[in-house]
Amino acid sequence: MNKQKWLDRALEKGFEAAEIYESSSRSKEITWFEQAMDKMELSQTDSASIRVLDGGSLANTGLEKLDDAIMDEVLDGLRQQAATITSEDRTQFVPPMETELAVKDKQWTVPETAQVKELLADLEARILAYDERIFQVTNLAWSQSEGTRSISNTLGLATGDEDYVQYVMAGAAGRQEDRIQDWYLIKVVPDIAAFDRGAFVKELCDEVLSRLDATSIPGRTCPVILHREAMTSLLGAFAGLFSGDLISKGISPLKDRLGEKIFSDKITIVDDPRNLDALTIANFDDEGYPTGRKLVVDHGVFRTILHNQQSAARMGTESTGNGFKGGYASPVGVSPMNLYIEPGEESLRQLEKRMQDGLVITDLEGLHAGIDFVSTNFSLQARGYLVQGGRRTQSVTLITAAGSFMELMNDVIAVGSDLDWSYRQLAAPSVLFGKLAISGQ
Amino acid sequence: MLNKEQLETLLGEAMDSGADFAEIFEEDAVSESLSMLDGKVENVDRALRAGTGIRLYKDLQTAYGYSNSQDFDELLALVKDLRTAFEGHREERISLEEVPVTDISPVKTDPVDAPLETKTALMREAWDAIRDEEEIEKVSVSLSSLRQKVQISNSRGRLVKDTRIRTRMGVSAYARRGEDRQSGFEGPGASMGLEFYEGGVPAQAAKNAAATAKVLLDAVDAPSGRMPVIIDNGFGGVIFHEACGHALEATAVAKDQSVFAGKKGMQIASAKVTAIDDGTIPHAWGSQNVDDEGNPQERRVLIKDGILTQYMVDQFNGRRMQEASSGSGRRQNYKYEPTSRMSNTYIDAGTDDFDEMFEGIEKGLYAKRMGGGSVNPQTGEFNFAVSEGYLIENGKVTSAVKGASLIGSGAEILMNIDRVGKDLKRAQGMCGSVSGSIPTDVGQPPIRVSSITVGGTAGE
Repeated sequence: MNKQKWLDRALEKGFEAAEIYESSSRSKEITWFEQAMDKMELSQTDSASIRVLDGGSLANTGLEKLDDAIMDEVLDGLRQQAATITSEDRTQFVPPMETELAVKDKQWTVPETAQVKELLADLEARILAYDERIFQVTNLAWSQSEGTRSISNTLGLATGDEDYVQYVMAGAAGRQEDRIQDWYLIKVVPDIAAFDRGAFVKELCDEVLSRLDATSIPGRTCPVILHREAMTSLLGAFAGLFSGDLISKGISPLKDRLGEKIFSDKITIVDDPRNLDALTIANFDDEGYPTGRKLVVDHGVFRTILHNQQSAARMGTESTGNGFKGGYASPVGVSPMNLYIEPGEESLRQLEKRMQDGLVITDLEGLHAGIDFVSTNFSLQARGYLVQGGRRTQSVTLITAAGSFMELMNDVIAVGSDLDWSYRQLAAPSVLFGKLAISGQ
Repeated sequence: MLNKEQLETLLGEAMDSGADFAEIFEEDAVSESLSMLDGKVENVDRALRAGTGIRLYKDLQTAYGYSNSQDFDELLALVKDLRTAFEGHREERISLEEVPVTDISPVKTDPVDAPLETKTALMREAWDAIRDEEEIEKVSVSLSSLRQKVQISNSRGRLVKDTRIRTRMGVSAYARRGEDRQSGFEGPGASMGLEFYEGGVPAQAAKNAAATAKVLLDAVDAPSGRMPVIIDNGFGGVIFHEACGHALEATAVAKDQSVFAGKKGMQIASAKVTAIDDGTIPHAWGSQNVDDEGNPQERRVLIKDGILTQYMVDQFNGRRMQEASSGSGRRQNYKYEPTSRMSNTYIDAGTDDFDEMFEGIEKGLYAKRMGGGSVNPQTGEFNFAVSEGYLIENGKVTSAVKGASLIGSGAEILMNIDRVGKDLKRAQGMCGSVSGSIPTDVGQPPIRVSSITVGGTAGE
């Protein structure tokens, strides 16, 4: 694809402006099952999307056929798309802007296929040997991917970056009497040679084994700690509350709440795409706007609405560099990147001690269906363990946790210190809440 | 797309590796998505997707590669990289023969090529139907259409060409009374062109979405605990999809990662339950002429009178299970290796009377409309959301309730189905699993589950 040719042609056709977003990715994955390679997967894709402004309206087309021969057909299609839009929304593309670049200096050692196979075979053997109750390694994979993205527009913007990651994933199932439980673990692994296999296997297997005595419990309303995994899931499901797009459309319940106290004063939330602790960083969003650290919620007070160019224009403000796409062909939405709840001082064990009697929820399931974004009500399948007298006792499964996110976030007793960024672009530490409704057996 | 000679060359090269089977899946697709908020068209987005997925098997191992390159030499290089997964050498000349495909879902008005103003007019029908309704504060309407051309060839000489066309409208209605805000959604779709929307489909979808949102304004907190639940027809079928369907896919069964593995011929559900996965229903949302491995879609009776009769099997997992494909190999697009997936899955109509189901229930839940859910096939633990529910008190439907979900273990819940009604209906959804997000129908007549855990906020 000759980008300059497309941009020039768009201007010749009389579009006000045009922008091309390109992404490329290469990946390799090897999975292992029952002492043999199960699958090797290789991929190489190059895709693009072109956005134009025409008659004040914004139109978008995604392309996997990167062929200059279809240029006129695509541009003429975009003209029709733009002419169909009747919303009064207006936006601008991003001009070249000065910004200092954050650099994530992570070194990756790419292993040979034979090294990967040896690692997977060894992990499988170690997991199965760990405890006789573990009867199957359900998933075992090593994966490596690299990607680049670039954004160019007719205002002269031309920027780009690249990304790389390697990880190991393993899942195991255990059986005790007629009860089966499973769990999986993902670790980013910069260098296989330095990977602590024993620690990885121990973490995975101990978790599986700890779940084997899990049963449902009678319903109750009680103090609850949302373990960092569960808290991260719940925060992710409601992160759209801070979206300028949804606020300006009146869909987010935080409309007209900027500057107000919306959560407990123990809650501070930051969005920082340049956070070097996170899995990946971005110096600019998918429109090319420079990113930065934003205090979204400061001790419970709603301080920053996240914006892309369009939502910012709608609300008469500037983009916050949160214009990200769900995929190369998607329209640019508003998303947090590396958003997190500021950790507190207490470890999970200290939170358990403070709670004395209650429930720790380690996983929440069904987040794509069991939450109502508009009312912030949720009712979700959960599992975890009981805490009695400040100590972990019985594991619990097949329960639900239900409540209102807004009410819950105003009922915070303490925020834990266990923030963990591994393999995440949104993170929360464990949080102790005053009460939550649990339903069960 | 590649021509026959190019395909034969690539397949021959792929087999020169010790592989015992090779397959090439090519795709050329156009998708379009329009969105409207309060009668104003907000977005018109298109995507022109095209690419190739190449798969080699050797015994129980696979090598899969994909690329959006249209260049023969680059695809040949990909094949050569994939060959490194195996050791061996074989000279094999592949000769392809095109297998004719019967179109079970012929389309009258191509939803991708139809004029944009025709499509926005359909969306406006939905908006107009509820724009003046009291307490409806906001209405968002989407219209998505897809035309996917595929060409699937394999080392057994099979060449299949097919075109899949689908369209779906989504209506979200937002209701408000004071500070209380609630929403409702309806999303009808089909393997059809724009003729699907004739006869007032957009307006009806909008009215249903608005009705749900408004009912929730009057709703009290959902109860919690174990109780009898009556689940209405249509999207209520998500209970079978989650509680059982995924665990009957070879994806989980082949590796003994399903609670229902090894249980063919055994009773796994109440004798009132007959369940079917049918990919051959003309124009249904989850139907296909051929699956994504190029095999004909089939009608599969999964459970007959409570007895497990058949799994959903794709070609590769069939090897491990020593079963033939049941035409269930599906994938979102060329970026995913296919695996066994559901199509249009439903509990078949029974003989029980709907009104009689409520009799004798002292305290229970009537789940009129359902949201989505999820399952862990290994443990059988599933959940799904109730988007519009009502309390049953002393045999009568009383208050609307909000914020409920249902959870359970598939093996137990299927046995607890003690009533199966007569009025079978299907509804449309998107199902996510290892081979991506695919269109599927769920369905059932109204059913009663004698005891299931309801998760609400109101306590016991």
